[in-house]
Amino acid sequence: MSGNEFNKDEFDEMLGAELRQHTEPVPADFAAKMLRRISQAEERRILARVVLQERFALAGCIVLGAAVIVLAVVYPGIADALTGQIAGLGDKLTKTVSAARLDWQVLVVFAAVFGFAAYGLWDLLVGDSY
Amino acid sequence: MKVKRNVFVAVEAEKGHKTDWLRKLFAGDHEAFGEFVDKYKETVFMCCRTLGLREDDVEDVASETFLAAYRSIRRYRGQAELGTWLWKIAYHRAVSHLRKYGRTGQLFDEDIEQLADMRRRPSLDVLEDREQAESVWRLVMRLPKMWAVAILLFYREEKSVSEIAKIMKKRENTVKTFLFRGRKKLKELLAAGQDFDVRK
Repeated sequence: MSGNEFNKDEFDEMLGAELRQHTEPVPADFAAKMLRRISQAEERRILARVVLQERFALAGCIVLGAAVIVLAVVYPGIADALTGQIAGLGDKLTKTVSAARLDWQVLVVFAAVFGFAAYGLWDLLVGDSY
Repeated sequence: MKVKRNVFVAVEAEKGHKTDWLRKLFAGDHEAFGEFVDKYKETVFMCCRTLGLREDDVEDVASETFLAAYRSIRRYRGQAELGTWLWKIAYHRAVSHLRKYGRTGQLFDEDIEQLADMRRRPSLDVLEDREQAESVWRLVMRLPKMWAVAILLFYREEKSVSEIAKIMKKRENTVKTFLFRGRKKLKELLAAGQDFDVRK
């Protein structure tokens, strides 16, 4: 190839051919490092999502509690009716259980539901850190 | 949406990509993405170095580029060819990095000192093929960064002016100007051999 004379097509061809021969140096372990970094980023993203969900749940509990207090202060009538109904709930429950005492199948169902609810509560409160 | 993706997979497959690999890649498969990194890592490093990033920063920006690609690959709808899409991400990451450190001015500067060093280079006639290619490469790297990127995309990556304009977010006429000036300068440098003076 002459360095002094080019016509347009030859020059373009030469330039393309020479540039395509070049190989760019890249660290040998780049792809592996990249995949590790992606895995870590994914883990961090998932963790951040869980933390966000828990924060929302906590915020929900606080807002609900505050709403109940505000309701009791602003509408004492409704609060009285509600407490009355909650107080009567124990009696109603005792009567229902007494009625079902002889029916062992019903007791098995109650026990299973209670067990599931207790497990759910335990899992919610201490499951992750156990 | 699925139909559009399938059409796109078929189009990319015609360009030599394996259909199965493409489907896995777009589903966010780790192994397929590993192959994607292997296939395009050289391109991304080349983009970063051509834009004049410091060697310490090149690997970081390349990693950020692939991380961004991984996050957005599920949303990729084949608006551009896969390589063009990745070039666009790499280019803008690299320019953002330069902007962050106030170094965008260098994008239009010629590397005068290094161009002057080219006066001492041997004539292309006496070099082996490989050395000759590297010599041409080094000359391109001494051009203003924007010209160099346009030259690489056009001559090495065989992108069209319209694709280059999309990658660089410039008008097609601006890209044509970069190509024209870069080509002219390279022609001068190559033709003048050891006797050129870039300061003229």
